[in-house]
Amino acid sequence: MPTDDRIDGYAAAILEVAKAEGQLERVGDELFRIARAFESSTPLREALTDPRIPAERKKGVIDDLLGAKTSPLTVNLVDFVVSAGRASDLPAIADRVTARAASARRKAIAEVRTAVELDAATIERLTAALGKATGKDVEVKTVVDPTVIGGVVARVGDVVIDGTVSHRLQQLRETLNKR
Amino acid sequence: MFNVFARIAFQVGEVTPPEVPSGTDLVLPEINELIAGIIAFAIVFLVVWFKGRGWISRTLAARQDAIIGQVKAAETTKLEAESLLADYKQQIARARDDANRIVEDARRTAETHRSETTARADTEAAEIVRKAREEAAGEKQRAAGAIRDEVATLSLAVAAKAVAGAVDAKAHKKLVEQYIAELGALHP
Repeated sequence: MPTDDRIDGYAAAILEVAKAEGQLERVGDELFRIARAFESSTPLREALTDPRIPAERKKGVIDDLLGAKTSPLTVNLVDFVVSAGRASDLPAIADRVTARAASARRKAIAEVRTAVELDAATIERLTAALGKATGKDVEVKTVVDPTVIGGVVARVGDVVIDGTVSHRLQQLRETLNKR
Repeated sequence: MFNVFARIAFQVGEVTPPEVPSGTDLVLPEINELIAGIIAFAIVFLVVWFKGRGWISRTLAARQDAIIGQVKAAETTKLEAESLLADYKQQIARARDDANRIVEDARRTAETHRSETTARADTEAAEIVRKAREEAAGEKQRAAGAIRDEVATLSLAVAAKAVAGAVDAKAHKKLVEQYIAELGALHP
């Protein structure tokens, strides 16, 4: 089966389960955060994708990392994907679930990266500003990423609005290189 | 003729032997012998003159003709030889001309070849120098670019560290607020 179809299949299954359990929004949000952690942490990625590590041990890693702060349904769904040997597809599946859930609510996902956690009021104002800037009803998913140094970078679909310090430093570097 | 018979008679002893000669008589012939000899010669001469003259004349004429023919043949041969000599001289002159022409052509060809080779070598040398200069200039530019990149990277790494250390919670909040304000200026 082509990778895209497989990802769609897993995303659809997770969506149905989350919908049936009435936890679509929470599951989508948690999966999104888990996917970003999976992308940024090489040891986690290696632990969950290494075929030499037994499934039981992988399950133990997931439970230890997510058990306390994530819903049991999300943990079970992540377990399901990893046990099926599709851990490497986890970010794509999570993104697809998030996008479909948002689409079901007629919203677009705005992935917002900042160096520090944002408070609810700031997220609310950011949501409104991004909606106005993109012309879409957006749903903000925040990711804490220290590499941005400061400021915010938001991605809505293919549109990226970068206001981070790292981006400004990069622009400065390009300007210096052109001279 | 009479003297001859007398002499013969003397020799067989019918005539009294004459006195023994001496002095010049030993060398000079007897008058009788002389006359007999002259007569004999005249007879032989006349016989030869009347009988052998035609043959002698023919022989001499034939001999003369043969000599004339030989002289003519010799002249012809000489003319042919002269003609051949002239031909040879002409051929030698032509050959010399040809040789000179070939040498001249070779010299001209060599000169042309040398000029072309020199010109080509000059062009190639100029091209090599030009490329070397271009490459040197390119290398210089690349090296300068690399140094500039390195300096920029190092400077920005230092700046990033300095900024990261300087961005506190207040600065973060200010940056986020600035971002939200800038978003307000954007239109879909």
